Amino acid sequence: MNIVVCVKQVPDTATERKLRSDDKTLDRDAVDGVVNELDEYAVEEALKLKEAHGGEVTVLTMGPGKATETIRKALAMGADKAVHLIDDALHGSDALGTSYAMAQALKKIGFDLVILGSESTDARTGVLPAMLAERLGTPQLTLANKVEVDGSSIKIQRITDYGFDRVEASLPAVVSVVEKINEPRYPSFKGIMAAKKKPVETLGVADAEIDAAQVGLDSSWSQVVDFAPAPPRAAGTIVKDEGDGGAKAAEFLASKKFI
Amino acid sequence: MLWVAIIGLVMTVVAVAVAGRRALFLFKLATVGPPAPERIQYAKDNAGAEIKTQLVEVLGQKKLLKWTPSGVAHFFVMWAFFILLTVYIEAYGAIIQGAITGRPNFHIPLIGQWPVLGFLQDFIAVACLLGLVAFAVIRLRESPAKLGRGSRFSGSHLGGAWLVLFMIFNIIWTLFLARGAAAANGNLPYSSGAFVSIPLGQVLPASGLLEEIALLLHIGFMLVFLIIVVNSKHLHIFTAPLNVLFSRRPDGMGAVPEMRVDGKPVDFEDEDLDPERLGRGKIGDTTWKGFLDFYSCTECGRCQSQCPAWNTDKPLSPKMLILDQRDHAFAVAPYLMAAANGGNGHEDTDVLALLNKPLVGEEGVIHPDVLWSCTNCGACVEQCPVDIEHIDHIIDMRRYQVMVESSFPSEAGVMVKNLENKGNPWGMSEMKRADWIAELDFEVELVEEKMPEDAEYLFWVGCAGALEDRAKKTTKAVAELLHIAGVKFAVLGPMEACTGDPARRLGMEYLFNMLAQQNIETLNEAGVKKIVATCPHCFNTLANEYPQLGGMFEVVHHTQLLAKLVDEGKLTPITPIEEKITYHDPCFLGRHNKVYSQPRDIMSKVPGVQTQEMHRHKDRGFCCGAGGARMWMEERIGKRINTERVDEALTTDPDTVSTACPFCMVMLGDAINEKKNSGEAKESLEVVDVAQLLIKSVKTPV
Ligand SMILES: Cc1cc2nc3c(=O)[nH]c(=O)nc-3n(C[C@H](O)[C@H](O)[C@@H](O)COP(=O)(O)OP(=O)(O)OC[C@H]3O[C@@H](n4cnc5c(N)ncnc54)[C@H](O)[C@@H]3O)c2cc1C
Ligand code: SF4
Ligand code: SF4
Repeated sequence: MNIVVCVKQVPDTATERKLRSDDKTLDRDAVDGVVNELDEYAVEEALKLKEAHGGEVTVLTMGPGKATETIRKALAMGADKAVHLIDDALHGSDALGTSYAMAQALKKIGFDLVILGSESTDARTGVLPAMLAERLGTPQLTLANKVEVDGSSIKIQRITDYGFDRVEASLPAVVSVVEKINEPRYPSFKGIMAAKKKPVETLGVADAEIDAAQVGLDSSWSQVVDFAPAPPRAAGTIVKDEGDGGAKAAEFLASKKFI
Repeated sequence: MLWVAIIGLVMTVVAVAVAGRRALFLFKLATVGPPAPERIQYAKDNAGAEIKTQLVEVLGQKKLLKWTPSGVAHFFVMWAFFILLTVYIEAYGAIIQGAITGRPNFHIPLIGQWPVLGFLQDFIAVACLLGLVAFAVIRLRESPAKLGRGSRFSGSHLGGAWLVLFMIFNIIWTLFLARGAAAANGNLPYSSGAFVSIPLGQVLPASGLLEEIALLLHIGFMLVFLIIVVNSKHLHIFTAPLNVLFSRRPDGMGAVPEMRVDGKPVDFEDEDLDPERLGRGKIGDTTWKGFLDFYSCTECGRCQSQCPAWNTDKPLSPKMLILDQRDHAFAVAPYLMAAANGGNGHEDTDVLALLNKPLVGEEGVIHPDVLWSCTNCGACVEQCPVDIEHIDHIIDMRRYQVMVESSFPSEAGVMVKNLENKGNPWGMSEMKRADWIAELDFEVELVEEKMPEDAEYLFWVGCAGALEDRAKKTTKAVAELLHIAGVKFAVLGPMEACTGDPARRLGMEYLFNMLAQQNIETLNEAGVKKIVATCPHCFNTLANEYPQLGGMFEVVHHTQLLAKLVDEGKLTPITPIEEKITYHDPCFLGRHNKVYSQPRDIMSKVPGVQTQEMHRHKDRGFCCGAGGARMWMEERIGKRINTERVDEALTTDPDTVSTACPFCMVMLGDAINEKKNSGEAKESLEVVDVAQLLIKSVKTPV
């Protein structure tokens, strides 16, 4: 089975993230890049499926040069090879542009199954799996916490507010996973060493037959007009207990219309 | 008589041949694995110190004598072996002389008739006999049948131990029979001094035959004993001195040894590094020093009795850790040796499975729960009378599990990721590392590329000290004390990263290397010479492990520096603290670095403080449970180690528990809070760092 995992490099959530003042896109150079957490689960699931059914796991990343760190990480976990979609023309693409570019790349790579995280921690649109499936013309099975492949069909358990749905489709398909699905492995040193030697193919816009007019900041349907940092959290109110603490606390809650 | 000499000498030749064959086997087995050139080099470079150690530890029995009754008993039994060598020279002399002249009245030339020697021989034989009685009483009183898991002998080979005692007893009684008979026949070389043998001669009949039979028995038991020794745990009488010689000095604590493959330190940049060979995954990966550890263990269980994991019902016993590996090594010995000789002709799949049995695994020689229970506290190493280095075994097995198998408790993975991405185990932003400075009302200098001209010390704050709430109080107290004492210091702030200790103790040598190299570079570029650290783990890593990577700094722990400042009158505790305080020794400050007195000195200088030691303190201090990267793992098996420690602290009825380590503070603090919730500890009970006590007393109350 030919599995492609989409892995995004995102800024570390523990650091202060900034948008660039010039084109209002994320300042990716100023922060440490890490693997989007959910994508580690996606890689793990792909590796598990490969271990059970054989085949090959390819990592697909769209991002700037720095994203190679992320690619190596996924390869160190055990993926076989990687494709790095990289082109200045892609900078600033919105979800539509991104999904178009990635779909083109996927068509070029070829796949039986595409696995994604269900959401990134930076842009957090959560729409890419659906958009990709639409563009590729394959079934979409999203928010999976369990995946089973049997021959040419795939079954997932899709988490919902009320429990879960069982969804079944035929391959090829696009799946997105949630963190309950597995426990991602930590790359062994053996894996880290091996990753240095694994092949990483770079694709530019032309290589992937992407129409440059449909991607990039200028072609995006949505646009960041302005931004402002979230206001710092105001200091809380401290109620000192001088025998009347309960009453004071109740007064405070009442003033905020909580009670 | 000729026949006596013939029987005696034939017995000897056969026994020596059998024992020699076994010795050769043991040597070959021990050398199947990778070499350990650093051990030989160290012994050569420090020959003087090694000789001293042999005198103090082997002949002087320093470590055994820490446990008085069994130590004294062992002291006499061991010295009996040396002194009774002269009796055996006399015995062999007697049977040979008997064959030549017909009369077995041999004496050692020059000193052989000296009454002092005669006295010494009888004396040590009697002392040895008393020692055997003591051993028997100890074994009966502390028998596993009675004490179960609580017995230090639980898990040891009990039958073998009794057999050894019985054989030594046989040697001693035949000694007196032979010497008494010789005295009766007028053949004993001593006319006085031999205060047991001579009177015995007066009651025994004057019979040549009795003397000859007694001599043969005396020699025969010794030869049987020799064969038993080389085939049992009693092998230690030959291997222990070697193990002491090649063990790390001053002991197997402090630094974790560098990781080696085939005796060479590993270079992670090396393209040709075989990633399968990191650490120890199979018994065949054990160096001869590891085998010497196996051969030297006497199964005494001192280590087990001190182990915090064993004492809280976890499956880890440091003794069984060694014994299980040893038993496995013996089980696969023939195949191991054949494989080492280039033979790979084992078609038999069962044999191959046994040979390649993983050292650690659910079905392995050592269960993963055993491996991951260890806190690296060093209590086992501290006590082991034959200098076995348990922590080194644990670390090397962890290295394989983590770096090759990627198999370790998943909770620790979070810590590892945080170290990789953020340089601290909690994954907090490095910018937060300087936050505590704003909470002080004086200036603290930050290193900006270079150390400020006037700063004497770099204050290494540590991840906990910078980011963890309880530890931050210690950080602020130390900064303020240094400020008051007029000691100029600077901090690295966001440029500081974890020393790498938790990664290294987990077995993640690769990550440790990365962090350590980065820190050494920062420190060297800043021109740092002297460092003061509040965290004993940072302190240990900076002082003892960074030199392995070329980082040479003069490192002190804050308790050392503060004690000195108090001594010099630069800090004067005046405000009384009327409290009963018990001090908990952090393992990495105490056992690993032998800093026991300074924290206590500081407390004793604070007026009003009444100190009360816990039962287990100083070199026998009981771990808080956080070392060996255990801080970052769940404790699922048995009683919690921190609860056990706080239970002990509570027996001293303290007002305050003091310590000198941020991780001990967290562990003890958590356990105390639980005790408060269940009403077992008073609400006012707190755990504080000794620096916090000191600052409280140095400042006048406002
Ligand atoms: C702060 C910010 C706000 C933005 N707001 C918008 C907006 O409002 N509308 C809009 O259209 N665009 C927006 N963008 C642009 C956004 O980066 C892109 O739309 C696009 O990459 C969508 O990705 P996502 O991270 O939201 O994907 P999600 O759908 O949240 O991600 C799901 C999965 O898709 C995969 N994936 C996503 N991106 C990549 C990639 N580059 N390479 C490989 N795999 C990938 C991963 O497996 C991921 O887990 C914003 C970007 C930023 C930084
Ligand atoms: S280091 Fe401590 S926890 Fe580990 S085996 Fe030794 S005594 Fe037990
Ligand atoms: S390892 Fe040392 S302390 Fe432990 S049983 Fe063996 S000899 Fe005794």
